[in-house]
Amino acid sequence: MNIQTAEAPTTVATLVMSDISKSFGGVAALTDVSLEVLPGEVHALLGENGAGKSTLMNVATGTIRPDAGTMVFRGELIDNIDPRDAGRLGIAFVHQHPAVLPDMTVFENLLVALPASVFAEGPSREEFARSLLDRVNLRVHLSDRVETLTVAQKHLLEIAKAIAVKPALLVLDEPTAPLGEESVRMLFRLVREFVAGGTSVVYITHRLAEVRELADRVTVLRDGRLRATAVVEEISDRELLSLIVGRQLDSTFPPKYDGPEGEEPNFVLDRLSGPGFKDVSVAARRGEIIGVAGVVGNGQSDLLRSLAGLSQFDGAVTINGTGVSSKRLLSEAAYLPADRLSEGLMMRLTVRENAAVSALTRFRTRLLLSRKRELGMVGDTLGSLSVKAASLDAPVSSLSGGNQQKVMVARALLSEPELVLADEPTQGVDVGARAEIYQILREVSASGIPVIVASSDAKELEGLCDTVIVMSRGHVVDVLRGDELTEERMIHAAVSSTTQTVGVEDVAEAELDERAAARRAKVRRFVQGDYAPSVLLVAVMVLLGAFIFAQNDRYLGAFNISAMLLLVSALGFIAMGQTIALLTGGIDLSVGPLVGFLVVIGSFFILNESSGASILLGLAAMLGTSIVVGLVNGTLIRYVRFTAIAATLTVYIALQGMSFILRPTAEGFINSEVSRAITTKLGPIPIAFVVLVLLVLGLEYALRKTPWGWRLRAAGSDEESARRVGVEINPTIVMAYVATSVLTFLGAIMLMTQIGVGDPAQGVAYTLSSITAVVLGGTSLLGGRGTFVGTLFGSMLLVQVLNATVFLRLDQMWQYILQGVLILAAAILYAVARSSRRRRVARKA
Amino acid sequence: MTDDSTPQRLTSARLGVSKGLLTMAVSTVVLVILGFALAPSSVSQGAVLGMLPFASVLAIVGLGQMLVVQQGGIDLSVPGAVSLAVVLSTHIPNQDDSMLVPAILAVYAWAIGAGLLNGFMVGRLGLNPIIATLGTNALLFGAVLGISGGIPRTTTRLLSSIAGGRTAGIPNALLIALVVLVLVTILVKRTVAGRRFEAVGASPAAARATGLRYRTHRGAAYVWAQLLFATAGIMLAGITNQPTAFQGNTYLLTSVAVVVLGGTSLLGGRGYPVATFVAALFLSQLDQFVLALGVPFAVRTLVQAAALAIGVAIYTVDWAALRRRLAARPDASAPAAP
Repeated sequence: MNIQTAEAPTTVATLVMSDISKSFGGVAALTDVSLEVLPGEVHALLGENGAGKSTLMNVATGTIRPDAGTMVFRGELIDNIDPRDAGRLGIAFVHQHPAVLPDMTVFENLLVALPASVFAEGPSREEFARSLLDRVNLRVHLSDRVETLTVAQKHLLEIAKAIAVKPALLVLDEPTAPLGEESVRMLFRLVREFVAGGTSVVYITHRLAEVRELADRVTVLRDGRLRATAVVEEISDRELLSLIVGRQLDSTFPPKYDGPEGEEPNFVLDRLSGPGFKDVSVAARRGEIIGVAGVVGNGQSDLLRSLAGLSQFDGAVTINGTGVSSKRLLSEAAYLPADRLSEGLMMRLTVRENAAVSALTRFRTRLLLSRKRELGMVGDTLGSLSVKAASLDAPVSSLSGGNQQKVMVARALLSEPELVLADEPTQGVDVGARAEIYQILREVSASGIPVIVASSDAKELEGLCDTVIVMSRGHVVDVLRGDELTEERMIHAAVSSTTQTVGVEDVAEAELDERAAARRAKVRRFVQGDYAPSVLLVAVMVLLGAFIFAQNDRYLGAFNISAMLLLVSALGFIAMGQTIALLTGGIDLSVGPLVGFLVVIGSFFILNESSGASILLGLAAMLGTSIVVGLVNGTLIRYVRFTAIAATLTVYIALQGMSFILRPTAEGFINSEVSRAITTKLGPIPIAFVVLVLLVLGLEYALRKTPWGWRLRAAGSDEESARRVGVEINPTIVMAYVATSVLTFLGAIMLMTQIGVGDPAQGVAYTLSSITAVVLGGTSLLGGRGTFVGTLFGSMLLVQVLNATVFLRLDQMWQYILQGVLILAAAILYAVARSSRRRRVARKA
Repeated sequence: MTDDSTPQRLTSARLGVSKGLLTMAVSTVVLVILGFALAPSSVSQGAVLGMLPFASVLAIVGLGQMLVVQQGGIDLSVPGAVSLAVVLSTHIPNQDDSMLVPAILAVYAWAIGAGLLNGFMVGRLGLNPIIATLGTNALLFGAVLGISGGIPRTTTRLLSSIAGGRTAGIPNALLIALVVLVLVTILVKRTVAGRRFEAVGASPAAARATGLRYRTHRGAAYVWAQLLFATAGIMLAGITNQPTAFQGNTYLLTSVAVVVLGGTSLLGGRGYPVATFVAALFLSQLDQFVLALGVPFAVRTLVQAAALAIGVAIYTVDWAALRRRLAARPDASAPAAP
């Protein structure tokens, strides 16, 4: 089976993988695969979807641990490696889905992903980063947020990250899929440069043309097994093709359409274009099944989604002679998505509920649903499809893949659709159920409902369909009928295509009028940046201040200013802490009760009659308590898997209880000298406020410029990507909650002087006001994005508004109304700004 | 592979018992038994009759919160909503029974307004529910103070006799809460809109792929919730003789707690109305029990926190996986249990 045509290596191979096996849940993904990659070669890895190409490379880069087999990297045996080890060894993997952090800038993405030593090369880190982007032809500004980049640009960024570490082995997983022509040429040039310098490149692809153009040797996988390794020049396209195809499929297919030739089609697509596909035309007669073939991600799913009414399209869809709109398709087409787990079924609901959800109106008798009718119809349909389940009440997640698929089919049938769209209907389905599903689709089609099946399994389409369109990068590259409809033809059409991706304009072209747009871009970057909310807040504060001052000139008196700033200090420290929690994508509801509890603890140690040692001990006790509370919050969230709300709510209630246990009533007057020391002022400015400002600046610097800040924002921005670039999520987030609590401790010191007594009922309100202040400052509750400076201004504005009601002689009602209006206005404004930004990116892509 | 039974017609049990309901029902029974053993005064007739009306109010608030939580949201405007309902139903009539109906209509009008505001912001604009409802809460308190000036008024006799009275020895409040429970259950389980609502909560992505208007359903949860908060507020006004303007404050955390204890996930998913209802009884009885034990007031709060932590842990920790891991540890080569 193993046609080893390559000559023996003369030097030490970069990577030798021997007899690698791996199975997932009993299904073999790789069986005894061996691969050898030599220094300075481009080694193409070729094969169908699911052949095991990416799995093999995930083993090489430590993402997946093999069940059996050995790996030798540059002459050294390696086992049990994780992605970080792989990175250290010099293995870089450019994934199909780039591991980028959307909320961070291009520069920060580079900083967080690359070891610091890499940056030592350039005259400055910025210079080095810019030269890196130039090398991959990525023309974006270093401070552009990655969220605003197109898919192609994100890929280029990912490639830049990979080449920056000068890897000994570079793995590229279908790198050209999202790229435009010019970027593809650039990439090829880059790959050639690299191998000339001795680097080895593993190039995963479906495309023969790319193999021919770039690769020295090629290894073909099929069904997780090695088919052959060959020198590219010594093997013909036909030989390669025959190695790729020929998968065994022991499934039986129902007979194909054999109706009269002259019948009119009942389903016609005429030059249909939409997001991800272009100019798709096809027709089918009653009883014919249309297949959509191609390598996964070439527009097949996009086509089906558009036909399901989930995205807009241009062109005409005609069913039984009438044109149908997107809106009609949304309600009348039955769509069976490929991703059963997240999109196909409601996994937490029962079999009955899932099957019934699209047909509920049919079970209605007057106002209410008839249980009898529902059970009858659902039971009949599930029975006719011979769905195997414990009962109708069994959660659909407990069913086997095949039965889950049948439940989706049952849902489709019950809804009496005008069109059935099945995306990968037999993925993860056992052989017996496959044959049944094919039979059902045939029957549906024969009953006059058009059926379209998309599948990456060409063999399946060959057996099932009457017409197959082959898609590549969104275009139809071949339409096959009758005798032409074979697996070979489909794969040949897909792998030899050289079309360009639909909707991806070339990165370079997009930025042609670069200089003209530069000034506008600078403004845009600022508006989209993190500091725009701060500027807005300052403007509002100045206006509000001027208005109040006009009404009452004592407003800017030293007394009022220092009173306000003291209030800001207490809230400010706590809101700083809340900012950290929100940056991780979590929330800390316990800060309010914590600040109260800490004051209560202080009220036992820091009394008028207390010695200096006792006061220090009290402060230490407060600090220690805050650290423990932070650890509890973080541990509950990361290790016990509570949601942030549930965890911090539990701690919230517990802390409140403990405050009342220690001090059932307000007692223990705080040492007045300590209070005086804490509230010392420089002119009208309290020292504490100066400390707060310095802390804000320090934290802001840390957030932008230190690894701590990058890791924190990375974890909050996109946990999975952050993990892939090497951020240790659990410790990062647990420490973030500790930091939140420690900052709350600083707030407690301020609050202690304001309350002056150990009052168990105080502090709770700080939970909500800290969240308010943070949100006003522009920090996103989704995590990953925010500023401490904004939080400071948010705290100041909040205090100012509450103070304003006093000076304007407004009653308490206005305090609430202004607070409410402020938070809603800020939230809506920021959300609208963000979504319009997203739309712009969507248009660009 | 082992599934070789001939497919037979699938059946459905009429009554399913969720994990949350089972947990809560057992806990409540244990609590009552403990009450008889350790603190008989916590299960005396007077104590139970005094507890039930407040438990009923909590149950209704909890049901509202549940509808929002099952859509992956959270409604922090509970305090404002309940307080506003209390204030409107005491201030508008000002002890005049004939003005009670207009007052109640006003309560529901405000509730619909607040619900639409929340629903629009969360469902349409995609705002984070925490911020949106926090803002609405402040606005509602603004209205509370604008209407009442912070000064409480005495409840009308009619409302007090309805909400605070008893029918055949059973507190009316409990009966009302039961009616609300039945209504919510029927609406969610037995109407087209309710079933779609549940589907959207269980999986927004799948609901969208099947063509449901998921945003509308997500937003609607906030309207339903406000209507229930309003109902609870009206009842509270009747039960308490002279309610304060901030009567709703205590219901924010407890409403989330009963939802969580009832087994509804804060990440969204299926809601469990009956379990939420029982959880409200449990939490109220827990209060009574701890109180009857004679321990300080504060311990009650700690016990609540512990109950919540244990409750969440029961539903979130993957116990089967944990057992497997622990079982596998002594003999690492043993295959994992299925």
